[in-house]
Amino acid sequence: MADFKVHQRDGEGVSVIDLKGYLDAHTAPDLENAFQKLLSDRKYNIVVNCKELTYISSAGLGVFMAFIEDVRKNQGDIKLSNMSPKVYNVFDLLGFPILYEIFKDEQEAVVRFRATLKP
Amino acid sequence: MSRLKKILLLVTAIVLFLGIYVIDVVRNAVNLGGSAWLNVREIGVFFSFVLLFLFIQRARASRPTAVPKNIGQLLAYSIFVLAFVGLIAFLGKGGSDTGGELSGSPGAVATLFSSLTAIALGIFSITTLLTIRDLVFYKRKKGTKRNFVAYAVSLVIANTAALPLLPGESQLIASLLFSVTVVLIVVNSFKQNWVVYLSRREKLYSIGYSSLLFLVFLAVNVLITQTGLEHALVAYHPPLQSFIQLNAIFGVIYFGMAFVSTLFHMPTAEVYERKQSELTSLHNLSRLVTQVFDFSDLVDSVTSMTLEVVGAKSAWLELIKGRSDQGDVLVEVVSLKNITRQQIEAIAVNSDVSLRQFVIDSKRPLLIDDVNADRRTKHIKKLDVAVGSLICVPLASHGELIGFLHATKVFQYGFDQDDIDVLTTFADHVTIAIENSKLIAKSLERERFQQEIMVAQQMQKRLLPQKIPYYASLDVAALSEPSLEVGGDYYDFVALDTHRFGVVVGDVSGKGVSAAFYMAEVKGIFQSLSRVAASPRDLLLRANQALVDSLERNAFISLLYAIFDTQKSTVTLARAGHCPMIHISGNSTQDVRPTGMGLGLTHEKIFEESTQETTISLKTGDVCIFYTDGLTESRNSDGDEFGVDRLVNVSVNAKRNSAESIKTSILQEVRNYTGNSTYGDDMTLVVVKIL
Repeated sequence: MADFKVHQRDGEGVSVIDLKGYLDAHTAPDLENAFQKLLSDRKYNIVVNCKELTYISSAGLGVFMAFIEDVRKNQGDIKLSNMSPKVYNVFDLLGFPILYEIFKDEQEAVVRFRATLKP
Repeated sequence: MSRLKKILLLVTAIVLFLGIYVIDVVRNAVNLGGSAWLNVREIGVFFSFVLLFLFIQRARASRPTAVPKNIGQLLAYSIFVLAFVGLIAFLGKGGSDTGGELSGSPGAVATLFSSLTAIALGIFSITTLLTIRDLVFYKRKKGTKRNFVAYAVSLVIANTAALPLLPGESQLIASLLFSVTVVLIVVNSFKQNWVVYLSRREKLYSIGYSSLLFLVFLAVNVLITQTGLEHALVAYHPPLQSFIQLNAIFGVIYFGMAFVSTLFHMPTAEVYERKQSELTSLHNLSRLVTQVFDFSDLVDSVTSMTLEVVGAKSAWLELIKGRSDQGDVLVEVVSLKNITRQQIEAIAVNSDVSLRQFVIDSKRPLLIDDVNADRRTKHIKKLDVAVGSLICVPLASHGELIGFLHATKVFQYGFDQDDIDVLTTFADHVTIAIENSKLIAKSLERERFQQEIMVAQQMQKRLLPQKIPYYASLDVAALSEPSLEVGGDYYDFVALDTHRFGVVVGDVSGKGVSAAFYMAEVKGIFQSLSRVAASPRDLLLRANQALVDSLERNAFISLLYAIFDTQKSTVTLARAGHCPMIHISGNSTQDVRPTGMGLGLTHEKIFEESTQETTISLKTGDVCIFYTDGLTESRNSDGDEFGVDRLVNVSVNAKRNSAESIKTSILQEVRNYTGNSTYGDDMTLVVVKIL
């Protein structure tokens, strides 16, 4: 039932992770592996596109918390984009918008990265 | 009872014998005349021996003796009887010398001697007959009993024919009957089945006993046909002489045949003995398979049985633990006999060959007939171990190799095809036993774990409030259900003073045991901070401070703390990432959702900046609902969530009822919605109604 997919794309200096389906305690390890792989490839500029993410549980939110510190230590960031109102509500309830930059559109997030990279 | 019968039989026989003795003595002294007396006497003797027969049969039946011990006893007894008869003959001679002066007729002492001789030989004959009967009946077949009974009947008839009742021409009939009986003796003498089942040692004894018995019976035959003893016996009781003679012939033929038969069976003795021990060991092991609660006991039995089954010098059992980085199997010696671990390692592996590898490659037992000559084991010669031949049998379960069973013998060519077959069968049993043992260990472990979880569940239940503090103007109901055995949901109440009542609801990220631990931690923190915190917000700030460093990085806790003031009719709440409080007042419903981040997400500065507190006023009939996302995220079989809207609707519809009733309505609605769907999170609900 809880179908979940992680797909990764690499742009110029920015990596995008596409999430699809239910992200909960059962599927969280898939996302963990994706982050782990990016970190071991030394890719720290990450945009997570939540366009097709239909549900996220507290365990799913925990995955972002687990990696944000390492990413930021390496002058990178995890930015989120394209959230449905329902998914945004979960992030908002826990106060995630204070800790993460959340954009309406993936491109906005990529542009933001580029802006910080340039200088 | 049977003991009494035996004694009765013996006593009666003795009394009869004494009576006959008296008759004999009197008859010798005074001529009674007439045959009536004689007939009574003969019948008396006959019955006495029948009684003796019954007594001996019963005495033997109560103490059955195994072959060849019973033959040995017969031999000992025969020697004793011969000595006794010889002694009496010697004494009798002396007696007749002195008694010769009396007018030819024997005196009382001579009569006693001849009577005792007859009785001793009679008893000996009976014992012989019964011993041979037991041997003949060993592993008996359909015809066995028939043949023996035929002999017994023929024996009785032949004996009766010896009575001087028949006219003189009956001599022909008597010898005919005698011949028939001898033929039946020969027929019965072919029944030597017991010889096959003797061990080598027992066969040696049997050869000795039967050859001696052959000679003894030959001697008895000569004694009672060629010496004066014949006349003495005939004089005492004619059928007795016939009985003893026929049984002596039986003894000669039977034990002669037994001697030859045992001699021919000698070469198979060792094989039979080994088969026997193999059978016993395999039987023991198959029993062991069902009683494998102790792994070390099991493997110890395996090696000791290996020694037993093939008569090996040393044996050891190795189980595969895994593979090294190079792909070689790693083994652990779990049991060994008459060998050391160093020797095992030295034997199994040398620089270029590993014996185990041969077995792994071929998946078949490896036999090395001559360790010194085989290139795979030449290295063993240099070691200080006495190994002439060696065998290594694989243990395979469902096609997967789990270990090796090894056995060695001191001599070359110590293992034959039978050994390989037996060890292979044995190895199959061992594999099953080891697998069973592992399964049992696993299920025990699992059971233990289940029990631990049950304990955790009990403990967690006790962490939740056992009773709700009483406030006259507040009606409160609560419930919490973990989705697994233990969960991460938490709610608690605190009576701050006479008019202030605190309610806390929380949810630890994740489920199961780790969440349960955090839940316990939160309980401790809340209980201690609620007494000192000035406000709900203050409590959340302090709680975050306490938790941020102790939580795992991917873990966080959502908490909502509300303080009801019954004097001011207000509720003040602060929220740390938790689901909002639902406030139903009159016809309006609102989510009370002051901003605030989950506990453990960030350090104090950001947390403090983002956490707000709100106070709302309450009036009679208002309902406040606290919940965790497990309730609103309960799903039906289509995967759709219960949602906040359904929660609000059912609460509004039930708002006029008691808090307990509202709680029940909500729970019922959730149950109806989810149906039999088992997917779910921990679920917690607190309802506070203002009276």
